[in-house]
Amino acid sequence: MINMAKFRRYFFYGTLIAYSAFTIVPFLWSLSTSIKPQDEVYQSNLIPHNPTARAYATVFGKIQPNFPSLFANSLFIACVVVILHLIFASLAGYAFARLRFPGRDVLFYLVLGSMMIPDQLRLVPIYQLMVKMGLISDRPSNYLAIFLVKAISAADIFLMRQYFLTIPRELEDAAKIDGAGPVQTFVRIMLPNAMPVMATVAILTFQGTWNDLFWPSIILQSPNHWTLPFGILQFKGQFSTDWPPIMALVVLSTLPILATYIFGQRYIINMQLGSSVKG
Amino acid sequence: MATSTIERSKRKTKIQEALVGWGFVSIPMGLFFVLSIGIFFYAIYISTYNWGIMGPRGFLGIENYTKAIHDPIFLKAIRNSILYAALVVPLQTMAGLILALLVNSKIKGSRFFRSSFYFPSVASSAAITTLFIFLMAPEGLFNKILTFFGVDVPNLFNQGAWLSDSRTALFSVIGLNAWTTSGTMMLFYLANLQSIDGSYTEAAIMDGASRRQVFWYITMPLLKPAHFFVVTSGMIGALQLYDQAILAGGADGSPDYSLMTMVLYIYNACFRQFAFGYASAIGVILFIIIFSLTMFQKLIFGNDAWKAND
Repeated sequence: MINMAKFRRYFFYGTLIAYSAFTIVPFLWSLSTSIKPQDEVYQSNLIPHNPTARAYATVFGKIQPNFPSLFANSLFIACVVVILHLIFASLAGYAFARLRFPGRDVLFYLVLGSMMIPDQLRLVPIYQLMVKMGLISDRPSNYLAIFLVKAISAADIFLMRQYFLTIPRELEDAAKIDGAGPVQTFVRIMLPNAMPVMATVAILTFQGTWNDLFWPSIILQSPNHWTLPFGILQFKGQFSTDWPPIMALVVLSTLPILATYIFGQRYIINMQLGSSVKG
Repeated sequence: MATSTIERSKRKTKIQEALVGWGFVSIPMGLFFVLSIGIFFYAIYISTYNWGIMGPRGFLGIENYTKAIHDPIFLKAIRNSILYAALVVPLQTMAGLILALLVNSKIKGSRFFRSSFYFPSVASSAAITTLFIFLMAPEGLFNKILTFFGVDVPNLFNQGAWLSDSRTALFSVIGLNAWTTSGTMMLFYLANLQSIDGSYTEAAIMDGASRRQVFWYITMPLLKPAHFFVVTSGMIGALQLYDQAILAGGADGSPDYSLMTMVLYIYNACFRQFAFGYASAIGVILFIIIFSLTMFQKLIFGNDAWKAND
């Protein structure tokens, strides 16, 4: 009996450790390859015999656009989209959760229903619309097209609304008795109480925008505007057999995600999933 | 006199609240109506035209649609997308459920395991697919591991060229995505598992139910909201496969269109043939497929699973 329990325990931990190796080793491998010289690339040593920073020198300097430019574009686009989502989703989420106005429920169901429209259906008409608006060009106004496409997220509006519903009404009533109007109540009472969900929206939006390949590959025209994933797609073709620089881009583009992941994990695990599954 | 003042001020607050409500939703909903609802109907409109680089060149009715269903490459794209979804969805669901059950038990280091299982799903698909292409290359790590276990890789039917052989390319991408997405699915199951009231399982164990019985008759039915969510969102995501296909197979979904997906086909129709009307028709077909599958799943899982989202 005891042996059986022990065996089960070993088997259990064995599975867990094996699977986590399965998820971690590929990332370690990309790190290792990025500092390998060309002749070691296909050798199966994890620690390079002759580590070199050549790949990093290449992606920071030689390639056009270089890593700092790709990084700056990714960061700029992701930050603007995060701010847009925070503003629009909190305004709409609060109105849908707490304010009474004619047409509210119809609007909310439209937002929910729109989640079924795939981005790929929007591709052609959005592209045509942006061409008409003169936003498909080499100029910086090209960024505006990305911001417009990504400005509204039905999922984030939904997430915010669900959270505002859980904030006790007594807080609001107390503010009202003190003579605060709806706008003041929103700014002074509701927003400070909604920080956890704001963090969730910010992290998920940042990760989603940072990782997105679809819209940048369609909208961004000038190499000066490329984002990291789009840059990886382009350079993968150019550098077909020179893996270390590509692996350096892979490592460098994953680091910010790793950072948001480490600092923001608790918000994602407890919030997003709680509200979408439990309600 | 006094009551009418109170009523008037009550009405005033009500009107004020409605105005603020509209004010709050005006900009987000304005953008939403143009960029989501309006764009939806614009897509249908474009799909009925012969629409090139210079704009519409004549009304076609449903001709773009009939052209699509007679195009062998489009049919291949549909077949690939459906085969992909039919394999990835069960794989990621099962993996997600098993991982969730593993890390849900009170064990040492469960936080670490949870994080490491989830991480592949937050890394960018461009980065992770590129890394995967490198690992799956003929001289890559994957084949090294196979050789270590005694597989004669150079004499395999595909010579170990997993992504550049049309017989194995799609299945390799299926393996890749089942691995990356299972972390997300694990989280959905985990959230659901943690909301289950422990007294149900305790009562069943008191009544002499075995572990297996508890799992199949108590836990599984209580996971219904997660089943619905995981299967539906997994299906929708799978039918929109694009990143991995274009990274591994280029715009043609090489080799031999084995990685051509519906979305990649839309991309081609748009930016290589400049047939915007045709591309839009394919977008509408994709929407119809996704919409009917979602409704079908809603029917299977019943209305209460749907309501769990409110």
